[in-house]
Order: sequence, then C-alpha cells, then structure tokens
Amino acid sequence: MIEKGKISALQMGIMMHPAIIATAILLVPAITAHHANQDMWISPIWASLTGFVTVYIAILLHNYYPQQTVIEYSEQIVGKFFGKIVGFIFLLFYLHTNGIIIREYGEFIVGNFFVRTPLIFVMGSMIFVCALAVRGGVEVIARLSEMIVPVVIIVIVFFIILLIPDMNITNMLPVMEKGIFPSIKGAIIPQSWFSEFFLIAFFLPYVADQENRKKWAIMSVVAVLFTLFLVNITVLFVLGNITARFVYPVMSAVRYVSIADFLEHLEAFVMAIWVAGAFLKISVFYYVFVLGTAQWLRLSDYRLLVFPSGFLLLVFAVWTAPNLMELSLFLGTTVPFYLDSVQTIIPSFLLLIAKWRNKMRDEQK
Amino acid sequence: MNKYKKRKKCVIYFFICVNCLFLSGCWDRTEINDLALVTGIGIDQKGKDVMLTVQLIVPKLLGAGTSMNGSNTGGGGATIVRSGTGKTLADAIANLQEKLPRRLFWGHVKAIVFGEKAAEAGIRPHMDFLSRNPQMRLRSNVLVASGTAKSVLELLPPIEQSSAEVMRELSKSEILMNATLKDVLQMLSDDTRAAALPMVKILPVEKGKTKLETIPFINGTAIFKKDKMIGSIGDKLTRGVLWLRNEIKQANITVSVKGVKGKITATIIHAHTQLIPKYEKGSWKMVVNITSQDDILLNATNFSLYNEQHIHRLEKELARATTARVEAALQKVQKEMNADILGFADAFHRKYPKEWNRVKKRWDEIFPTIEVTVKTKITIQRPGMNTTPQGIPAEEVEK
Repeated sequence: MIEKGKISALQMGIMMHPAIIATAILLVPAITAHHANQDMWISPIWASLTGFVTVYIAILLHNYYPQQTVIEYSEQIVGKFFGKIVGFIFLLFYLHTNGIIIREYGEFIVGNFFVRTPLIFVMGSMIFVCALAVRGGVEVIARLSEMIVPVVIIVIVFFIILLIPDMNITNMLPVMEKGIFPSIKGAIIPQSWFSEFFLIAFFLPYVADQENRKKWAIMSVVAVLFTLFLVNITVLFVLGNITARFVYPVMSAVRYVSIADFLEHLEAFVMAIWVAGAFLKISVFYYVFVLGTAQWLRLSDYRLLVFPSGFLLLVFAVWTAPNLMELSLFLGTTVPFYLDSVQTIIPSFLLLIAKWRNKMRDEQK
Repeated sequence: MNKYKKRKKCVIYFFICVNCLFLSGCWDRTEINDLALVTGIGIDQKGKDVMLTVQLIVPKLLGAGTSMNGSNTGGGGATIVRSGTGKTLADAIANLQEKLPRRLFWGHVKAIVFGEKAAEAGIRPHMDFLSRNPQMRLRSNVLVASGTAKSVLELLPPIEQSSAEVMRELSKSEILMNATLKDVLQMLSDDTRAAALPMVKILPVEKGKTKLETIPFINGTAIFKKDKMIGSIGDKLTRGVLWLRNEIKQANITVSVKGVKGKITATIIHAHTQLIPKYEKGSWKMVVNITSQDDILLNATNFSLYNEQHIHRLEKELARATTARVEAALQKVQKEMNADILGFADAFHRKYPKEWNRVKKRWDEIFPTIEVTVKTKITIQRPGMNTTPQGIPAEEVEK
C-alpha cells in the first residue's frame, strides 16, 4: 500500500463533516431557498437520503475489497481496461470538483473581504497550504480535522445562539404551502453535496478499527444533515422571504448579529471558520486525487505528485467558470447530475457487478 | 551529514522569512488613517439627480477630552457631513469621493436617512445598492426625514457622538417604528409591497445654542407603497399601527373614568396582539385580539384604585381608549391609504394559503374591504406604590 498511515473510524467521520459542510453553506442555501421558499429547512432531510445510500454503497464495496481503494478495485471488478477508464473518470472528476471548490472558496473570500486582491493569489495560497497538509498524508489531515472541526461547530452554534433575538418563527409558515414538491426540488442541489460521502471509499482501507466504520460514517451523515438543517432554519428565521436574494445568505445573517451594541461586526469569525473548513475540504479532495493518481499509475509514492497537481488544481479552478454568476448557475443546474452520476451511480453499478462476480465465483466453487 | 543538516536549517529559515511576507496582508490592506468612517448616509432628490450626504467621524475630536478643546463650541463637533451628486447613488459616491482625501468606508453605517422627496420618488434603486455593497450592514436603521436628509445628518447632538447614533438609539428603543435595512427589504419584497418606516423631525433648538446643536427624533411613520412614499401618519396613529403589528413595547394610556374628574394614566407591561383571519363565503374578515397587562402610573383623580370594582371600570375605559386608537389607525391606513403594513396579508397567507394565492394579485382591492373587529382586554395588575390617591384628605377619596 502507498499510504502507510492509519486513522480511526471516528477521525474519518470528523474529516467528512467539513468535506461536505464547508461549501454547502456558501452558495447552496440561496439556491435551496429559491426553490423551496419557506420549506428550505425540510430540504436537507430529503437530501441526506443520498448520503445514506452513498455511504452504504461505499461500505458494501469495501467489504468485497477491504484492502483497496476504489481506483484499485474497479480494475478487479470490470477488468483492467475498463477499470482504468472508471479510475480515470474518478480522477478527472475529483480534479474538476476540487477546482470548483477552490473557486467557490476564492469567490467567497474575494467577493466579501478582499475585493481588490487577485483571485488567483487567494486560491494559489490556499492550494499551497493544502499541498503541505496533503504531503503529510492521511494521518495529518485526520488530526487537523480533529483539531479544527470542533472549533468550527462551536462557532456555528455560537452564531445561531446570537441570532436568536432576531429570529422570526412565522417566517416558516405556512409549512408545505404548495405540497411536498418545493422542498424536494430544493433538496436536489444539497443532495449532490451528500453524494460526496463517496470519498470514504478512499479512506476506508486505512481505518484501523474496522468494526466501527459503519457507525461513524452514518453518524457523520447525520451530523452533516443536522448542521445543514440548523443553518438553513436559522437563515430562514432571520432573513425570511429575502433569503434567495443574497449570494451568501449565511454570511448576511451573521453580519446581522448585534448584541448590546458591541457584539457585532462578527464576519471575521465567519471568514475564519470558512477558511478553516475550506482548507479541510480542499485537502481531503486534493489528497484523494493525488493518492488515486498514484494508485492508477501504480507509483510507489504519491508525494512527488502533490505540487504538480497543485498547479493543475489552480488551472482547473480558473477554468471552471468565467464569473460567479456562471459558477452559481453551474452549481444550480449541472452539478446535481454530475456529482450524483459519478459518486452514486457509477459506484452502484460497480457494486452490482461485484456482487454478480462474487456470486459466480461462489457457484463455480 | 552535518553539512546536510545545516542546509536543511537554512531552508527552514528561508521559509520562515518568506512567510513573513505573506503574513503582512494583502492587496486590500488599508490603514485606518486612510479611511473615512461613514456613520450615516442621507439620500436626497435634487431635481433629477441623487444627492448623497455622508456623515463622517472626525477622529481627532472623538478621542480628545473636553479640556483639550475648550474653544470648541459645545460638546459635539465629532462629525462632519459631505455631499456628492450623481445620476445614481453609486455615481454620487464617485462624485463624493473626489472631494475626500480618505477612502469612504461603509462598515459602520448606523442610519440610512431618505429625504422626503427621495422617498416619494422611490427607494428601490437605492436599496439595491445598499444591500449589494459588501461593506454595508443589513442592521443599519432606515428612516425618512421630514425635510432633507442632509439637514438631519449635519446636526451635532449634545450627548451622543453623532446624529446617526441618536437615530439608531431612538429606533432601538421601539417606542415608535423601528426598521432595519433587512426589515425594509423584507417588506418591499412581500406580495403586498407596502412598507412602514420611521419618520424623523428635528427637535427645535434651545435658546443660546447654535443652530446645529440639537437632535433628530422619531415622530410618526412614513407609509410606502411599491417603494414610493404615499403619505405619513403621526405618532398617535403610529402607536395604533404598532398595536396591530404586535410591536408595541412601551406605551402609556391616559383616560378619564365616567363621572370622575381628572385623568388616570396606565403603562403597558406586557402586550400581545393576535390577528385571527376568517374567510367565509368570499368575504374576508379579521378579528384583532389585543391583550395587555398594565400598571397604574399616575392617578390625578380622587378615585381610589385600591378597589377592585373601580379597577374594572378603569380597565374598560382603557380598553375603549386602545380600541379607539387602533380603529383610528385602521381607518387611516386601511381605508384611506390602502397600504397593508399591518401584516394582514401574511396572516391570511398562513391560514388560507390556497384562497390567498388566488387573490394575491388583487389584494389592493380586497384589503380596504376587510371587516375588522377589534377586541381589547386590558388587565391592571398593580397600582404602583400608592393605595389611595396621595395628597388629598382621606374624606375626599372616593372609595
């Protein structure tokens, strides 16, 4: 195995939390609100179904090939040639998706805080930091998550508490005015974020306590669901009918905090937690891409790939979209099909074929 | 081996030094002494153009003690105003920036004031700019000046640092209307598109003070329909509107009881208003249920308020006065102005979503015809510190 580190199942669960949340609370709440209006708090519940299904698929696949990542076992499932193609699709996908993530992060920072700083500098410096973490290996990323994620969660909860005086519960009424469909429509975008849970297929082989892996993977989905639910309901209670009018509703809501005239202007904290969250998310995707490439090319080490692929990521981040409007349109239209088809549908085909193969083998015996 | 270690050390030092370069900041670094901190924005209509007035903090005067600038007239003088004109608000900012040596910084805007003319011409184009700018805060209070916005912002209040701060504190006290930028955006984006903003007037200057040494104060409410101001109501009617909107926090009610000379004032401790919409056979009805717990504040009569029957009589009088106040507000806002700032549309929307969606396009026709019944129930809890009225002989007290 290329990666010699070992992580615990709990660490894997913690690591997945920012890997979903970090960008799911940037542009997504506005898109959800646009479709679901006052039912936007229900949408994460529907959306999480994809998360549970994806985790289930990843774990079943892992049970057949406990020592391998998806890049390796896809060759065993569909043969060497097609396996390489499937692996290539995954790698290209993670490269591109990570480009989108980096772009979202950069757009957020530049749009809100550093209006005159070149986007490429903001993204480039983040990729550089992530590259150092990725070179450290899976253990380093896992431990960083253990350090950062609790802080991020505490700050989010802190913001929600501070916003309680400004919440107006009647904003959520009437519940399901136009039936169940607006909330399901609103769930289409967030559910594709949940499909990113397929990332655990790359981490499962390095989990030390295999007996807990299912528990913590599911717990992680629940935690993400809960966070998204809380964030959405807070934004809805504070901003109400104008949620969809803001590019970053969560940011706008947090900037609204004002307690006793001095506890205000808190956006620096928002920026801090988002930079930390985005750092983890980009690192996880970056690591998966680099490790996958090394396995795909059958290299003995992935470290030499880290910096070159960093440049590639930067280029992809720039290429993704010419401006924020197009990025948001892309996220609101293409992305759900894109993310789902690679991270949920391809794995489920792999699983079906693997099942069929195992059955054949058992019958032959 | 040793050589290798040394080289490694060199590389580490090199990286630490390079890091310092990155830590120092970015392109957007601006020193505080290059910024002009804006505390208040005033928007006036000047012919076809927009005139923007900003209230800026003068940092030198803010920190200095009174002994340092004894020659300074009065305690104020911590702010100055500057204006710029242009076709749009953003255009006016560019014009204004030409006249300022420092870069305008919008992160500390406390109050946004519209001049009456600008409000009548429509506030939506300005609202868009105010919510789009990443420095601006949704928490800023929005008000309408009964003259020009500039005349309000240039005041130098004696106690607070700036007139913007005065307006923010007055808005927050919630005695009359209080609207933040977020609230205004919500009201304008609603299906009814009616909005209510606090209206400020300038307190007349005391004798011996300079012309600017006074404060703006909130007195009345400006009513907007489709982002244009269509009229205003005074502070009494505003209070009636606040009752209907369930936003009343502080109010005193003064009444006289039948057959008793003098007045009695009660103050609200808790108040709650419930709107109960009813839709029956094509007719829209609304029951307004007001409940309130009051304390006695003042009793100028010889009427003992330590008597339960007297209290019940008083409660009825108070309820009647409140109902009259609310009905007067309804008459003006519902019948005359036809502006649904009372939350009726929301109440119907919540209870009868289907029926409401059918008529929401022609809500303007329905709203004035809604039959409103006001039911008020006021209970007096405590008489204050006095049992029977003070300052008169015991025989004269009507027990």
